[in-house]
Amino acid sequence: MLVMRRRAGESILIGEDIEIQILHIGESRIKIGITAPKAVLVAMKEVRLVGEENLAAAQLHSVAALRHMLDRLIEGPVGGEK
Amino acid sequence: MTQTTELQHCETRYFGPVEYSEESVLVFPDGIPAFEQEKRFLAMRQPISEPLVFLQSVAHPNVCFATLPAPAACPGFQLNMAPEDLDALGLEKGRQPAIGRDVLCLTILSLTENAPPTVNLLAPIVINIHTLRGRQAIQTDSTYSHREALPLREAACS
Repeated sequence: MLVMRRRAGESILIGEDIEIQILHIGESRIKIGITAPKAVLVAMKEVRLVGEENLAAAQLHSVAALRHMLDRLIEGPVGGEK
Repeated sequence: MTQTTELQHCETRYFGPVEYSEESVLVFPDGIPAFEQEKRFLAMRQPISEPLVFLQSVAHPNVCFATLPAPAACPGFQLNMAPEDLDALGLEKGRQPAIGRDVLCLTILSLTENAPPTVNLLAPIVINIHTLRGRQAIQTDSTYSHREALPLREAACS
């Protein structure tokens, strides 16, 4: 991994047409501006994690398997409206 | 409802064909991660599977997610939506929406063989109750996991 030190307002270039600018450095997070061609996907890494989890969750399971799982819930059937 | 709109038919993964009206369709303008093309869902509940809520794709019968309302999956669940997500759903930016009053909040259930069931509390499905627009909101600031174990009876015995 390439490591660089940058201050707020400074940028990093990746290839010909991608620029990453440090906009603001806060206490626990930084604000980054990304300029990239439309064809380049820019997303938080968590999006991939959530996508993988969604694919796993979409696997077929029977209503009986769901029912069995629900029967094991401590709370028993709970309504969503509280 | 029946007198104002025509009912349409939709094949579902678990419950056979169902009828629905256009105004009951939940619209996800960006889909959800890995299912970006799925923009229209129906929320379905059945007495046999209470308190599950099924998110059924209108376009593809095979795409259906079993979800639990967040308060059922995790009592005391706190929403912590990013400003972009609030904006995308047309929600007030200065505060977190109230579950049940402003939004429906569903957590996707994952069942894998030989492993305890988990719910994705990191990225709940949030639906604006007033517009029926939905989005999977990734809560980067939260301490919740995308594989949070459900509280099961067996675990309580120890």
